[in-house]
Amino acid sequence: MLKSLLKPVLLISAAAALTAPAALSANDLIKSGETVAVAKSTLSITPPRDWNKLSARPGKKAETWTLDGEQLNDISFYSDIAPGEPLLRERSKKRDPLPKLRSNSLLTDVPEFLEGTYRAHFGIAVFSLGASKPTKFLNEPAIQFTYEYVTPDELTRRGEAIAVLRSGKLFMITYDAPKLHFFERNIEDYRAVVASAKIA
Amino acid sequence: MNLIRAIAAALLVLCTSSFGLAQAQERTAVRQGFTLPPNSGKTILLFRPTIRVGAQSTGGMFEPNADWTAQGREHMGVSLRQLQDRLGNRVIEASEPIGEQALLVAEHMALFAAVSSSVINYQFFVGNRLPTKKRDNRNDVFEWTLGPQVARLPGAADADYGLFIYTEDQYGSTGRKVLQAFAMLGGVGVQSGVHSGYAGLVDLKTGELLWLNADGKMGGDVRTPEGAEKRMRQLLEEFPGSSVQTAPAA
Repeated sequence: MLKSLLKPVLLISAAAALTAPAALSANDLIKSGETVAVAKSTLSITPPRDWNKLSARPGKKAETWTLDGEQLNDISFYSDIAPGEPLLRERSKKRDPLPKLRSNSLLTDVPEFLEGTYRAHFGIAVFSLGASKPTKFLNEPAIQFTYEYVTPDELTRRGEAIAVLRSGKLFMITYDAPKLHFFERNIEDYRAVVASAKIA
Repeated sequence: MNLIRAIAAALLVLCTSSFGLAQAQERTAVRQGFTLPPNSGKTILLFRPTIRVGAQSTGGMFEPNADWTAQGREHMGVSLRQLQDRLGNRVIEASEPIGEQALLVAEHMALFAAVSSSVINYQFFVGNRLPTKKRDNRNDVFEWTLGPQVARLPGAADADYGLFIYTEDQYGSTGRKVLQAFAMLGGVGVQSGVHSGYAGLVDLKTGELLWLNADGKMGGDVRTPEGAEKRMRQLLEEFPGSSVQTAPAA
């Protein structure tokens, strides 16, 4: 009886927790030159400049770094994403499901996996994938690709990502920023972060 | 045991969200070393404000309303014309852009909103500051920019500074208000309605943000002449060199 009465309140609490600003949460300083593990994994980064790690994680196995706020420069790390798992935290598994990584996913499927995730999670209608090319990441064959999209706040954003599948699990680092000024301003900072990535 | 843990989590959410709302205060900032006395001989290019008005769905999504937006634009436009002569320096209105130039202006307005929102969230808002911005605050540094490409905006070559004004109002739908009421009964804070307003002065050569008045909880119903005037006064109060006063509380 008590449980049934409290259920709506708890549901609302959960909704409020998802929509409330990250109040009182401490965003952490990532100091230049110090090696840190990211996204609760064995993936580590040694950034050549200071970054801020946001306390709010976009997914269970994800983490975001920024210089001025995620709206202006956003590096997100996705680590150890297994088949059957989404990239980002689902608001509602029933009403707003996100694409899941498949056990037979190939590197070439990753850009569309990201596109589908962004479209569903951020309510994006305009999204275009740019060039993709094979590369090396974490000492393994990987894919690097670019994309561009318009967010509901009517701002055009550009992105670059690098991804690798290790034993069927996805490791990816993305960089998203407004097309105007911010993308170009910090793209090399992102590439320096990628270049420092190591995995145990 | 899980139930008790869930109730504790609910109470924690109540505390954090209530605190967050209380701390989201209006703030103004000026770039270090920037001053703009009245009659300085500088020219300010006034871009047509971006006014977005709509409803907030039960789930918290913005649903634009064309009629309300038209009312907001009309009333805010009238208020701005009445106040712009009191800004203390020469103000010229940007001509109505067309084609590619209109897209460029709209994109800059959206970028200005994103920068302003980031300033509120990560430099003004005490509980959520980025560590690097805390360091800036300690050193009295306010360094934000839209980028030097602002020099390509139509009319930028004829002015020193650009004045950007952006407001977004989301009036809580019936469903959102009901959710808020139920949540209140359960001791949980759910916000109904969003009323954000940003006014910023930008160096049209460098893109640097020189002055910003940004508030996530503004007053004044922009759908009415009186409310729009109150909002515009709030946006332009403390504008460097101006004599605009905030409207007295009704």
